[in-house]
Amino acid sequence: MLSVLRSHAAARVVAIAAYVLVVEWTRALAIQAPGAAAVIALVLGGAALGVAAVGWPAGRLGLGTSRLGLRLLGGVALGVVLILPAAARSGAAPMLPVGLAVAAVAVSIGEEIAFRGALYAALEDLGGAPAAVVGSTLLWTLAHALSHPPAFLGAVAAAGLLLALWRWACRDLVGPIVGHVIADLAL
Amino acid sequence: MRRLGILVGAAVTYLFAAWMVAPGFYDGFGPPQAYNWTCPPPQAGANVKPSSGHLDIKVINGVSDANSAFTDDGQVVIGFLPGTFDSAGKTTISVDIVPLDSCPKPPGISFVTNVYQITASAPPAKGKTASLTLRYSNLEPDPSDVYRASDPAGPWKSIGRNEQAAPFTVDTRVDSFGYFAAGYPTASPPPGSVTLGGGQTLPIIVAVLIVVVVLAGLPLAIVRRRQGSTPADEEEKG
Repeated sequence: MLSVLRSHAAARVVAIAAYVLVVEWTRALAIQAPGAAAVIALVLGGAALGVAAVGWPAGRLGLGTSRLGLRLLGGVALGVVLILPAAARSGAAPMLPVGLAVAAVAVSIGEEIAFRGALYAALEDLGGAPAAVVGSTLLWTLAHALSHPPAFLGAVAAAGLLLALWRWACRDLVGPIVGHVIADLAL
Repeated sequence: MRRLGILVGAAVTYLFAAWMVAPGFYDGFGPPQAYNWTCPPPQAGANVKPSSGHLDIKVINGVSDANSAFTDDGQVVIGFLPGTFDSAGKTTISVDIVPLDSCPKPPGISFVTNVYQITASAPPAKGKTASLTLRYSNLEPDPSDVYRASDPAGPWKSIGRNEQAAPFTVDTRVDSFGYFAAGYPTASPPPGSVTLGGGQTLPIIVAVLIVVVVLAGLPLAIVRRRQGSTPADEEEKG
């Protein structure tokens, strides 16, 4: 099994895609649980998403440390863009309740490592950057189909496309992680 | 520079797509459905009027049964344990939840939900309470309290809130019926919100956005042009 995954790019894509979809859909169902159970399930879900990156070198995931300041600054820029519509609507940046903030950080880091990290790298091996950007965006949108009403999926897809294009343009995952954490803490 | 242009294009596309749906992109932590407002705030977009709810509770051997009344849109749920009501001489107890068709603005309090009138055909038994849950929108700050009044004109009194609740809901215990809403005292800043620039939020955010994007994007673009590839490229190859 492992040798098939090592030698076949398509098998890696299928395995990672199936895994992250199952974890994300489980997370969407788990948030219906009352109170602390939902928070615990979300934190575990975020950690489970991070497992998708096992076996990938940090550099292939975009997790290098060179020019870290710029990467972090870029992440802040992405975060500002992601929360701009909500902030402009309400005149304030709404913040999650404290209990959920921990879960939001875990899930946003896990999602970036899974979608723009492992899945992006696997798709890039299979079909290059276009396949990685389009494929990771499609899977990201599909993964949110259970947790979001259909009307929101356009915004979800556009956010995924923006984050994937940053991953491609800057070959960086630190920025998307920081931006995603900022957005999830606010919304 | 081509990559920077594509990124800016993606950012503009996102802003357009997110502006079409309130509150924009969110990752499943917010309410799964839009809040139905009596008086929608300007940023709410399309609005459906809030629903009412009705429940008939059986009285078995003089003890009111356990049950929950809720509005059809799920924005209010009130749960009763066995024996919650003083049910002497009754075979059923009717509970009604009706959204007030106006939006009171009592001094010193900002409501973040509609005001709901909850009535029952029997009062709660002495020492008994019901569990009240109000859902609120993430377009509004996290409420610090649930408020109760016997009349919409007031006076409104805080009855607190429980610490642990599902996302974007506020729970409390009630020992009498009347009018209920969740909110926060206006004397203190709205809990859990960061207000920017005294209402001039959009221009400030746009300005910050431009500065940050330029600060972040230009150096990266220059590095790429000078070196042909960034250290990140080399890390990825490595």
